[in-house]
Amino acid sequence: MQKQEVVNIRTLHFGELEIPKQNILDFEFGILGFEDLKQFIIVSEEETEPFKWLISVEEPNIGFPIVDPWLLDNNYNPGRGFNLEEDAIFSIVTLGKKDQNMTANLKAPIVINIKDNKGKQVILPNDKYSPTFIVSKK
Amino acid sequence: MLVLSRKIGEQITVGNSVKVTVLSFDRGIVRLGIEAPKSIPVHRKEVHDKIVETNKAASQTDINSLRDAVSSNNVNLNKNAKIKTIETPLVKKNKVIEE
Repeated sequence: MQKQEVVNIRTLHFGELEIPKQNILDFEFGILGFEDLKQFIIVSEEETEPFKWLISVEEPNIGFPIVDPWLLDNNYNPGRGFNLEEDAIFSIVTLGKKDQNMTANLKAPIVINIKDNKGKQVILPNDKYSPTFIVSKK
Repeated sequence: MLVLSRKIGEQITVGNSVKVTVLSFDRGIVRLGIEAPKSIPVHRKEVHDKIVETNKAASQTDINSLRDAVSSNNVNLNKNAKIKTIETPLVKKNKVIEE
């Protein structure tokens, strides 16, 4: 079998990681507020599943916790324009220090097309979804 | 900043693909119609700014807080979700080099 091409990055959250190049996701327009970051990977650790981390390859100190939005809202509907057979959808999660709620951004999900590994953050037009949906209260 | 005066029904173009039409003006509120290709997202600026702010806050999440929240079972997840997002390429944390 052909050897996988890998790159090593030193992440803030998980230390040294060896990542197969084929796992790198291209974000042509970055993420809002982080437009310069074009490449990300998704990292999971068993301990915090089903939460995962979207980590920048270029700035491995920057990472965002993410979660499947249907685990938060059974009826979540990002609307037309997505193909759920090939678009993976995640909500970015925020958890502050003590005494703050855990929130998830249902308004602007991360969408990753697994056919071409291209990702983007999309702001949904639907006003029903909040960027700070409360996942758990402190 | 380029400043243009337009009457109701008149348009401006931005690049080759974006058209903005002034639809109405009433009691201090301007209604605009914007035609843009799907590749150019159009949003109210305060919505865009709120997402930027939320992303910045998310990037400050401490991994230990997340571990604590998950292990304390403090997080209510809908385990029987009918829909589940598809799997993506995933890097599993290597426990051997855990620090």
